[in-house]
Amino acid sequence: LGAGQSIQKTYDLTRYLEHQLRTLAGTYLNYLGPPFNEPDFNPPRLARAERVPSATVDLDLWRGLTDNARLAANYRAYSRLLCYLRALDGQAGTAELRHRLGHFCSSLQGLVLSIAGVMSSLGYPLPVGPAGTPAPPGTAAAMAASNDFLKKMDDFWLLKELQTWLWRSAKDFNRLKKKVPPAVVTLRLEARGF
Amino acid sequence: GLVQSCGHIIPESPVLALGSNFTALCILNESCLDFGNIYAHQIIWKTKNRVVPKEQYREINRTVSSVTFNDTSSLATPLTCNVLADGQIEQNIYGITVTVGLPPEKPKNLSCIVNQLSKLTYPMTCTWNPGRPTFLDTRFVLKHRWPQENFPDCIPKDVNNSCTINDVQFFVNLELWVEAANALGKAESDPLVLDPIEIVKPLPPHNLSVKSGLLPTVLKLSWDNRISGAVMKLKFNIRYRIVGDTDWMQVPPEDTASPRTSFSVQGLRPYTEYVFSIRCIREDGVGYWSDWSEEKTGVTTED
Amino acid sequence: DSHVQYERVGADVTMKCGSMDWDAAVTWMTNGTDIDESHQNGSYLILKKVNLTQSGQYSCYEGSSWHLKYQTSLRVGMPPKEPVLMCRSNNYPKGFYCSWHLPTPTYIPNFFNISVVHGTREMVCEKDTFPKNRCHIRYLQLFSTVKYKVTLTVTNALGKNSTTLTFDEVAIVKPDPPESVVAKPVPNNPRRLEVSWQNPSSWPDPESFPLKFFLRYRPLILDQWQHVELSDGTSHTITDAYAGKEYIIQVAAKDNDIGTWSDWSVAVHATPWTEEPKHLTTEAQITETTSASTSSFMPPPTTKICDKGAVLGS
Repeated sequence: LGAGQSIQKTYDLTRYLEHQLRTLAGTYLNYLGPPFNEPDFNPPRLARAERVPSATVDLDLWRGLTDNARLAANYRAYSRLLCYLRALDGQAGTAELRHRLGHFCSSLQGLVLSIAGVMSSLGYPLPVGPAGTPAPPGTAAAMAASNDFLKKMDDFWLLKELQTWLWRSAKDFNRLKKKVPPAVVTLRLEARGF
Repeated sequence: GLVQSCGHIIPESPVLALGSNFTALCILNESCLDFGNIYAHQIIWKTKNRVVPKEQYREINRTVSSVTFNDTSSLATPLTCNVLADGQIEQNIYGITVTVGLPPEKPKNLSCIVNQLSKLTYPMTCTWNPGRPTFLDTRFVLKHRWPQENFPDCIPKDVNNSCTINDVQFFVNLELWVEAANALGKAESDPLVLDPIEIVKPLPPHNLSVKSGLLPTVLKLSWDNRISGAVMKLKFNIRYRIVGDTDWMQVPPEDTASPRTSFSVQGLRPYTEYVFSIRCIREDGVGYWSDWSEEKTGVTTED
Repeated sequence: DSHVQYERVGADVTMKCGSMDWDAAVTWMTNGTDIDESHQNGSYLILKKVNLTQSGQYSCYEGSSWHLKYQTSLRVGMPPKEPVLMCRSNNYPKGFYCSWHLPTPTYIPNFFNISVVHGTREMVCEKDTFPKNRCHIRYLQLFSTVKYKVTLTVTNALGKNSTTLTFDEVAIVKPDPPESVVAKPVPNNPRRLEVSWQNPSSWPDPESFPLKFFLRYRPLILDQWQHVELSDGTSHTITDAYAGKEYIIQVAAKDNDIGTWSDWSVAVHATPWTEEPKHLTTEAQITETTSASTSSFMPPPTTKICDKGAVLGS
């Protein structure tokens, strides 16, 4: 795949994931029950939920990101979000929900691979992950330490952060789409002897 | 009886390639020699119940006799090793079953289609040409993977030329190939790389409704699409005919070549009942047309 | 001494004539007119259940010398009700604005104070010169999961009220309607209309934050709209317009991923192309025109023509 096509596919996947998450998150929050499924629920963000990579970024900084930095930020974020989500995926109550979470995790894995594909097609190295992905809030160790309500709050923030990341990524990849038309990339690659 | 386990044949239960040559050995036990006074040269080879011509025998030594078949095509089973004991009573020493077949050919023409089943369900069915019959128990497996992620194998059920993967992911290129294996060998199809989003056969639009309006020559169609815009945008074909007629007419495709949920069909005959049907495909034409929707009728008003 | 006195509608008001004794002879006037003595209790002026019309200037003069002893401007009004506050980002991702109004008038001056908090950070809401009751906030960060909390407090002499909005950044994104909507007939196509428009000029970065559009159209003779959602580009060709019928067309916009739809654009009107009636000279032309003008059918390219009546068009 050329970079342009690869970016377009990654953009489409991001929007598809965002579409999936919209209904999936609603279903999951309903499974968690009130107050988590109430529109105005605005819980505090505890330390553990802070470990989930935040999509928040300074506007000017975001605008000025290089293509490499922009892609790397996405790659790192989804690599970690995937771990957290997989922890969620294991204990969701209903079989239907577990199946849909499993499908979504696989889609998210596809996104990580897609981003990696874009980076390699543009000649960028993959970012090396942080030393050992921090234990996601859902793992057994964390589960033992927290009560059910706190665990649910972590899940709430994970889904919210993931939704926001997908919005950000849609803008990121849209920006890249405009900057990286297929033809240009081919020339640049040839120039480097790829 | 006189002859307990007096010998055995090797190879035990061979699987042989059709048309190849084959040699089996019947090995008598030493105990058999002393007790039964039986030697290799007394061995009679049989396939099924037919004696194998002597020319195909060879006495390797006192206790071992071999038989050779130049073309296994004619080799029936079982192959037995027998002797004439106590003067002319034929006694079976040992027998093996021989399976004759072919190694699998390279599976060809691998192709796949994603048949949408519901708003969220998109199983992908792949089919291939399994090649010539092998006459053997041949196992076909559809394998698929992403660059760094292997997915569980898809094991065909009761057939050897298709398999359905229930959970495909869109917008990521998938590599698929078919592996065939039996006792005589293995073969692998060429890989097929595709993005499942490009081989979707969407469900046809539903909830089709036909409304007449103020104009006697116009009927307005409305419908619901069953595939989300986040998955793909659609274009349509709309066909219609007068009830009782057999010839369908079609709205020019270029008029329905963009996403929509309604269309006003014009130029109809006043006070006439028409039947309509609609189908859809991805807007850029990639993938497969859906089936035609359920038919719905409507009547134009009087002029 | 002269000052302003605010009183609530329906209140009973007592005014003292400055430092005059309660039984001193005085004269009360409002807006230059004597006030009936029935409203006086000694030198005090008593106004029962005041209403809006009793706002005005009240003056008290010493009986004999007509010295002005006291003057006040009575302003009858109401305490503020809970204000209506609305925040919206029509220029995402630059920022958002908040605007407010009171559900009912108070008839006396009100003072608004707005505070915008994002997590623990207080943000400045820069007042717009026009319209008055509006201010705007510049986004410092994007893609935040922390909600914004906007509190508007309104105060006047008779009371105080406030309202608070809490929202996510993406929830208030609502572009302005598309601009420069143009609809044109397509020559030689009796059922087509070409519609084009532009991104709202207030939307700062359509490249990075592309908009998608919703187009609705209907012939004036019908009430029901037809809708088409379009996710790229700023033009669309309507292909099933009623031949010869005037159409009304509007467009709305939404960020491709977040927020809500804009209001509908200004409506534009257009009528599909129709064949010009020719100036006839020969018999043939007359026959041709008659068949063309009376039949609203056009034989569609794909249709099997059986007889005149069965001509079906597209």
